[in-house]
Amino acid sequence: MKDKNAYTWAGFSLLIAGGLISLPAYFIFHLIWLTALGICMLILSFILVALGKAIPKLPPEVCSLLLETGVDNIATLIEELGIKSKAIYLPSSLAGKYPRAFIPLHSNGSHPEITKALPKRLIARYGSSPEDIGLLISTIGSTATRMLESKPGATADELESALTSLLTGRLGVADSTRVICNNNHIKVEIYKPRLENGASWSHQCLGGPLATVVASVAAEAWDKPMTISQEVQVNGKYNVELEVGK
Amino acid sequence: MTLYNRYIITVTLLLLLTTIILIATSQNSLDIYFTVYVIEALVITELYVYFNSKARRGLTYVSTILFGGFTIALCLQVVRILT
Repeated sequence: MKDKNAYTWAGFSLLIAGGLISLPAYFIFHLIWLTALGICMLILSFILVALGKAIPKLPPEVCSLLLETGVDNIATLIEELGIKSKAIYLPSSLAGKYPRAFIPLHSNGSHPEITKALPKRLIARYGSSPEDIGLLISTIGSTATRMLESKPGATADELESALTSLLTGRLGVADSTRVICNNNHIKVEIYKPRLENGASWSHQCLGGPLATVVASVAAEAWDKPMTISQEVQVNGKYNVELEVGK
Repeated sequence: MTLYNRYIITVTLLLLLTTIILIATSQNSLDIYFTVYVIEALVITELYVYFNSKARRGLTYVSTILFGGFTIALCLQVVRILT
Protein backbone atom coordinates (compact mmCIF):
# COMPACT_ATOMS: atom_id res chain seq x y z
CA MET A 1 0.00 0.00 0.00
CA LYS A 2 3.09 2.24 0.28
CA ASP A 3 3.20 3.26 -3.41
CA LYS A 4 -0.52 3.96 -3.78
CA ASN A 5 -1.34 7.41 -5.14
CA ALA A 6 -4.09 9.88 -4.16
CA TYR A 7 -6.54 8.44 -6.72
CA THR A 8 -6.24 4.93 -5.30
CA TRP A 9 -6.58 6.14 -1.70
CA ALA A 10 -9.65 8.19 -2.61
CA GLY A 11 -11.04 5.17 -4.48
CA PHE A 12 -10.66 2.80 -1.51
CA SER A 13 -12.11 5.42 0.87
CA LEU A 14 -15.17 5.85 -1.34
CA LEU A 15 -15.50 2.05 -1.67
CA ILE A 16 -15.68 1.66 2.12
CA ALA A 17 -17.95 4.71 2.58
CA GLY A 18 -20.23 3.57 -0.29
CA GLY A 19 -20.53 0.08 1.20
CA LEU A 20 -21.20 1.44 4.70
CA ILE A 21 -23.91 3.79 3.39
CA SER A 22 -25.71 1.70 0.75
CA LEU A 23 -26.04 -1.62 2.64
CA PRO A 24 -27.64 -0.28 5.88
CA ALA A 25 -29.70 2.23 3.85
CA TYR A 26 -31.21 -0.56 1.75
CA PHE A 27 -31.55 -3.41 4.26
CA ILE A 28 -32.13 -1.56 7.56
CA PHE A 29 -33.49 1.95 6.88
CA HIS A 30 -35.18 1.14 3.49
CA LEU A 31 -34.14 4.54 2.10
CA ILE A 32 -33.81 4.34 -1.68
CA TRP A 33 -32.23 7.80 -2.16
CA LEU A 34 -29.52 7.07 0.42
CA THR A 35 -28.86 3.68 -1.18
CA ALA A 36 -28.55 5.44 -4.57
CA LEU A 37 -26.06 7.88 -3.09
CA GLY A 38 -24.03 4.91 -1.79
CA ILE A 39 -24.11 3.34 -5.29
CA CYS A 40 -22.84 6.66 -6.69
CA MET A 41 -19.87 6.42 -4.33
CA LEU A 42 -19.20 2.81 -5.35
CA ILE A 43 -19.21 3.69 -9.07
CA LEU A 44 -16.80 6.59 -8.43
CA SER A 45 -14.57 4.35 -6.31
CA PHE A 46 -14.22 1.81 -9.17
CA ILE A 47 -13.32 4.62 -11.58
CA LEU A 48 -10.76 6.13 -9.16
CA VAL A 49 -9.08 2.78 -8.49
CA ALA A 50 -8.89 2.09 -12.26
CA LEU A 51 -7.36 5.52 -12.94
CA GLY A 52 -5.00 5.21 -9.97
CA LYS A 53 -3.26 2.29 -11.69
CA ALA A 54 -2.63 4.41 -14.82
CA ILE A 55 -0.92 7.30 -13.00
CA PRO A 56 2.91 7.24 -13.37
CA LYS A 57 4.74 6.24 -10.17
CA LEU A 58 7.47 8.87 -10.65
CA PRO A 59 6.61 12.13 -8.81
CA PRO A 60 6.21 15.27 -11.03
CA GLU A 61 9.12 16.94 -9.19
CA VAL A 62 11.52 14.21 -10.33
CA CYS A 63 10.24 14.49 -13.92
CA SER A 64 10.73 18.26 -13.83
CA LEU A 65 14.27 17.76 -12.48
CA LEU A 66 15.17 15.37 -15.33
CA LEU A 67 13.59 17.66 -17.95
CA GLU A 68 15.41 20.78 -16.73
CA THR A 69 18.76 18.97 -16.60
CA GLY A 70 18.38 17.69 -20.16
CA VAL A 71 17.25 21.05 -21.54
CA ASP A 72 20.05 22.87 -19.69
CA ASN A 73 22.70 20.56 -21.18
CA ILE A 74 21.43 21.10 -24.74
CA ALA A 75 21.15 24.87 -24.14
CA THR A 76 24.75 25.04 -22.86
CA LEU A 77 26.02 23.11 -25.87
CA ILE A 78 24.19 25.36 -28.36
CA GLU A 79 25.17 28.59 -26.63
CA GLU A 80 28.80 27.53 -26.32
CA LEU A 81 28.98 26.78 -30.07
CA GLY A 82 27.29 30.12 -30.87
CA ILE A 83 24.77 28.54 -33.25
CA LYS A 84 22.15 30.94 -34.57
CA SER A 85 20.46 28.86 -37.29
CA LYS A 86 17.05 27.32 -36.69
CA ALA A 87 16.74 23.62 -36.03
CA ILE A 88 15.25 21.31 -38.65
CA TYR A 89 13.06 18.59 -37.18
CA LEU A 90 13.69 15.36 -39.03
CA PRO A 91 11.37 12.33 -39.16
CA SER A 92 12.63 8.90 -38.06
CA SER A 93 13.24 7.92 -41.69
CA LEU A 94 15.96 10.60 -41.91
CA ALA A 95 17.21 10.67 -38.31
CA GLY A 96 17.33 7.07 -37.07
CA LYS A 97 14.92 5.26 -34.79
CA TYR A 98 12.92 8.36 -33.80
CA PRO A 99 12.55 12.00 -34.92
CA ARG A 100 15.39 14.33 -33.95
CA ALA A 101 16.39 17.95 -34.41
CA PHE A 102 19.20 18.80 -36.77
CA ILE A 103 21.02 22.13 -36.31
CA PRO A 104 23.31 23.12 -39.19
CA LEU A 105 26.58 24.60 -37.89
CA HIS A 106 26.99 26.86 -40.91
CA SER A 107 23.97 28.54 -42.39
CA ASN A 108 23.61 31.14 -45.12
CA GLY A 109 19.96 31.88 -44.34
CA SER A 110 18.45 29.04 -46.37
CA HIS A 111 17.58 25.65 -44.94
CA PRO A 112 19.77 22.78 -46.09
CA GLU A 113 18.03 20.01 -48.03
CA ILE A 114 18.33 16.67 -46.30
CA THR A 115 17.29 13.85 -48.59
CA LYS A 116 19.03 10.79 -47.15
CA ALA A 117 19.19 9.33 -43.63
CA LEU A 118 21.81 10.97 -41.44
CA PRO A 119 24.27 8.90 -39.38
CA LYS A 120 23.16 8.47 -35.76
CA ARG A 121 25.89 10.70 -34.30
CA LEU A 122 25.97 14.02 -32.48
CA ILE A 123 27.95 15.65 -35.29
CA ALA A 124 26.46 14.55 -38.59
CA ARG A 125 27.38 15.38 -42.19
CA TYR A 126 24.55 15.99 -44.66
CA GLY A 127 26.38 17.06 -47.82
CA SER A 128 29.70 16.79 -49.64
CA SER A 129 30.95 20.27 -48.77
CA PRO A 130 33.21 20.56 -45.68
CA GLU A 131 30.72 23.04 -44.20
CA ASP A 132 27.77 20.66 -44.56
CA ILE A 133 27.79 19.48 -40.98
CA GLY A 134 25.48 19.99 -38.02
CA LEU A 135 24.33 18.68 -34.67
CA LEU A 136 21.80 15.87 -34.58
CA ILE A 137 20.17 15.98 -31.14
CA SER A 138 17.24 14.45 -29.32
CA THR A 139 14.68 16.89 -27.97
CA ILE A 140 11.64 16.61 -25.71
CA GLY A 141 9.63 16.07 -28.90
CA SER A 142 11.79 13.09 -29.90
CA THR A 143 10.95 11.30 -26.66
CA ALA A 144 7.31 12.43 -26.65
CA THR A 145 6.76 11.03 -30.17
CA ARG A 146 7.64 7.56 -28.89
CA MET A 147 4.63 7.77 -26.56
CA LEU A 148 2.24 7.78 -29.52
CA GLU A 149 0.46 4.47 -29.99
CA SER A 150 0.71 4.68 -33.79
CA LYS A 151 2.26 6.94 -36.40
CA PRO A 152 -0.22 9.70 -37.36
CA GLY A 153 -1.16 10.28 -41.00
CA ALA A 154 -0.30 13.39 -43.00
CA THR A 155 -3.64 15.17 -42.57
CA ALA A 156 -4.70 18.03 -40.30
CA ASP A 157 -7.30 15.86 -38.52
CA GLU A 158 -4.89 13.02 -37.79
CA LEU A 159 -2.17 15.40 -36.57
CA GLU A 160 -4.70 17.19 -34.35
CA SER A 161 -5.88 13.89 -32.89
CA ALA A 162 -2.28 12.73 -32.24
CA LEU A 163 -1.30 16.05 -30.63
CA THR A 164 -4.41 16.18 -28.42
CA SER A 165 -3.87 12.58 -27.37
CA LEU A 166 -0.23 13.32 -26.51
CA LEU A 167 -0.43 16.81 -24.97
CA THR A 168 -3.79 16.39 -23.22
CA GLY A 169 -4.14 12.66 -22.57
CA ARG A 170 -0.57 11.48 -21.98
CA LEU A 171 1.35 14.56 -20.81
CA GLY A 172 -1.48 16.70 -19.39
CA VAL A 173 0.24 19.94 -20.45
CA ALA A 174 -2.59 21.52 -22.48
CA ASP A 175 -6.37 21.48 -22.77
CA SER A 176 -6.76 20.88 -26.50
CA THR A 177 -5.18 21.54 -29.89
CA ARG A 178 -6.28 22.69 -33.35
CA VAL A 179 -4.38 22.16 -36.60
CA ILE A 180 -4.76 24.17 -39.80
CA CYS A 181 -2.83 23.11 -42.92
CA ASN A 182 -2.14 25.53 -45.74
CA ASN A 183 0.13 24.37 -48.60
CA ASN A 184 3.54 23.88 -46.99
CA HIS A 185 2.61 25.64 -43.74
CA ILE A 186 1.05 24.02 -40.68
CA LYS A 187 -0.47 26.18 -37.96
CA VAL A 188 -1.04 24.53 -34.59
CA GLU A 189 -3.02 26.21 -31.81
CA ILE A 190 -2.52 24.83 -28.31
CA TYR A 191 -5.16 25.89 -25.81
CA LYS A 192 -4.28 26.60 -22.16
CA PRO A 193 -0.67 25.39 -22.23
CA ARG A 194 0.90 24.56 -18.86
CA LEU A 195 4.57 24.50 -19.87
CA GLU A 196 6.68 27.61 -19.43
CA ASN A 197 8.72 28.89 -22.37
CA GLY A 198 12.20 30.20 -21.71
CA ALA A 199 13.79 33.07 -23.61
CA SER A 200 17.29 31.67 -23.91
CA TRP A 201 19.42 31.36 -27.01
CA SER A 202 18.67 27.66 -27.34
CA HIS A 203 14.93 28.40 -27.43
CA GLN A 204 15.43 30.69 -30.43
CA CYS A 205 17.29 27.86 -32.12
CA LEU A 206 15.21 24.83 -31.07
CA GLY A 207 11.91 26.42 -30.09
CA GLY A 208 9.99 26.04 -26.84
CA PRO A 209 9.22 22.60 -25.32
CA LEU A 210 5.69 22.50 -26.76
CA ALA A 211 6.88 23.65 -30.18
CA THR A 212 9.50 20.87 -30.26
CA VAL A 213 6.78 18.29 -29.52
CA VAL A 214 4.55 19.73 -32.26
CA ALA A 215 7.41 19.87 -34.80
CA SER A 216 8.58 16.31 -34.04
CA VAL A 217 5.08 14.82 -34.31
CA ALA A 218 4.37 16.77 -37.53
CA ALA A 219 7.71 15.69 -39.04
CA GLU A 220 6.87 12.07 -38.26
CA ALA A 221 3.32 12.41 -39.64
CA TRP A 222 4.36 14.08 -42.91
CA ASP A 223 7.63 12.11 -43.09
CA LYS A 224 9.32 15.36 -44.08
CA PRO A 225 11.66 17.82 -42.34
CA MET A 226 9.91 20.62 -40.43
CA THR A 227 11.10 24.03 -39.25
CA ILE A 228 9.45 26.15 -36.58
CA SER A 229 8.83 29.46 -38.37
CA GLN A 230 6.92 31.19 -35.56
CA GLU A 231 5.72 30.60 -32.01
CA VAL A 232 3.61 33.07 -30.06
CA GLN A 233 1.72 32.87 -26.77
CA VAL A 234 -1.41 35.05 -26.60
CA ASN A 235 -4.43 34.97 -24.27
CA GLY A 236 -3.88 31.48 -22.95
CA LYS A 237 -3.26 30.17 -26.46
CA TYR A 238 0.06 29.03 -27.86
CA ASN A 239 0.44 29.28 -31.63
CA VAL A 240 3.12 27.34 -33.46
CA GLU A 241 3.70 27.72 -37.19
CA LEU A 242 5.68 25.08 -39.02
CA GLU A 243 7.20 25.12 -42.45
CA VAL A 244 7.24 21.80 -44.26
CA GLY A 245 10.60 21.07 -45.87
CA LYS A 246 11.26 19.36 -49.17
CA MET B 1 -6.50 20.76 -14.40
CA THR B 2 -5.40 17.41 -15.78
CA LEU B 3 -7.59 15.24 -17.98
CA TYR B 4 -8.05 12.69 -15.16
CA ASN B 5 -9.29 15.33 -12.72
CA ARG B 6 -11.64 16.83 -15.30
CA TYR B 7 -13.09 13.38 -16.04
CA ILE B 8 -13.60 12.53 -12.35
CA ILE B 9 -15.21 15.91 -11.62
CA THR B 10 -17.53 15.56 -14.64
CA VAL B 11 -18.69 12.08 -13.58
CA THR B 12 -19.10 13.13 -9.92
CA LEU B 13 -21.12 16.26 -10.74
CA LEU B 14 -23.31 14.41 -13.24
CA LEU B 15 -24.08 11.57 -10.81
CA LEU B 16 -24.85 14.00 -7.98
CA LEU B 17 -27.06 16.14 -10.22
CA THR B 18 -28.92 13.02 -11.38
CA THR B 19 -29.46 11.94 -7.76
CA ILE B 20 -30.88 15.38 -6.86
CA ILE B 21 -33.19 15.40 -9.91
CA LEU B 22 -34.43 11.86 -9.26
CA ILE B 23 -35.03 12.61 -5.56
CA ALA B 24 -36.87 15.82 -6.53
CA THR B 25 -39.13 13.83 -8.89
CA SER B 26 -39.91 11.39 -6.01
CA GLN B 27 -38.38 8.46 -7.84
CA ASN B 28 -38.56 5.40 -5.60
CA SER B 29 -37.09 2.65 -7.76
CA LEU B 30 -33.46 1.73 -7.19
CA ASP B 31 -33.32 0.14 -10.68
CA ILE B 32 -33.96 3.52 -12.33
CA TYR B 33 -31.27 5.23 -10.23
CA PHE B 34 -28.76 2.51 -11.09
CA THR B 35 -29.65 2.40 -14.80
CA VAL B 36 -29.27 6.16 -15.20
CA TYR B 37 -25.93 6.13 -13.31
CA VAL B 38 -24.55 3.34 -15.49
CA ILE B 39 -25.63 4.97 -18.76
CA GLU B 40 -24.12 8.31 -17.71
CA ALA B 41 -20.85 6.78 -16.57
CA LEU B 42 -20.52 4.78 -19.82
CA VAL B 43 -21.29 7.80 -22.03
CA ILE B 44 -18.83 10.11 -20.23
CA THR B 45 -16.13 7.41 -20.34
CA GLU B 46 -16.64 7.00 -24.10
CA LEU B 47 -16.39 10.78 -24.62
CA TYR B 48 -12.95 10.93 -22.97
CA VAL B 49 -11.10 9.20 -25.81
CA TYR B 50 -7.69 10.72 -25.12
CA PHE B 51 -6.77 8.66 -22.06
CA ASN B 52 -3.64 6.53 -22.33
CA SER B 53 -4.00 2.81 -23.05
CA LYS B 54 -3.47 1.77 -19.40
CA ALA B 55 -6.24 4.08 -18.18
CA ARG B 56 -8.53 2.99 -21.01
CA ARG B 57 -7.95 -0.69 -20.12
CA GLY B 58 -8.81 0.02 -16.47
CA LEU B 59 -11.94 1.94 -17.44
CA THR B 60 -12.99 -0.87 -19.81
CA TYR B 61 -13.01 -3.26 -16.80
CA VAL B 62 -15.13 -0.75 -14.84
CA SER B 63 -17.51 -0.39 -17.80
CA THR B 64 -17.80 -4.19 -18.01
CA ILE B 65 -18.66 -4.42 -14.29
CA LEU B 66 -21.23 -1.62 -14.62
CA PHE B 67 -22.75 -3.17 -17.74
CA GLY B 68 -22.93 -6.52 -15.91
CA GLY B 69 -24.83 -4.85 -13.07
CA PHE B 70 -27.13 -3.15 -15.58
CA THR B 71 -27.85 -6.51 -17.29
CA ILE B 72 -28.67 -8.16 -13.93
CA ALA B 73 -31.03 -5.29 -13.03
CA LEU B 74 -32.67 -5.59 -16.46
CA CYS B 75 -33.07 -9.38 -16.16
CA LEU B 76 -34.63 -9.05 -12.66
CA GLN B 77 -37.07 -6.46 -14.02
CA VAL B 78 -38.04 -8.73 -16.94
CA VAL B 79 -38.59 -11.70 -14.57
CA ARG B 80 -40.72 -9.45 -12.31
CA ILE B 81 -42.90 -8.37 -15.28
CA LEU B 82 -43.31 -11.93 -16.57
CA THR B 83 -44.29 -13.47 -13.20
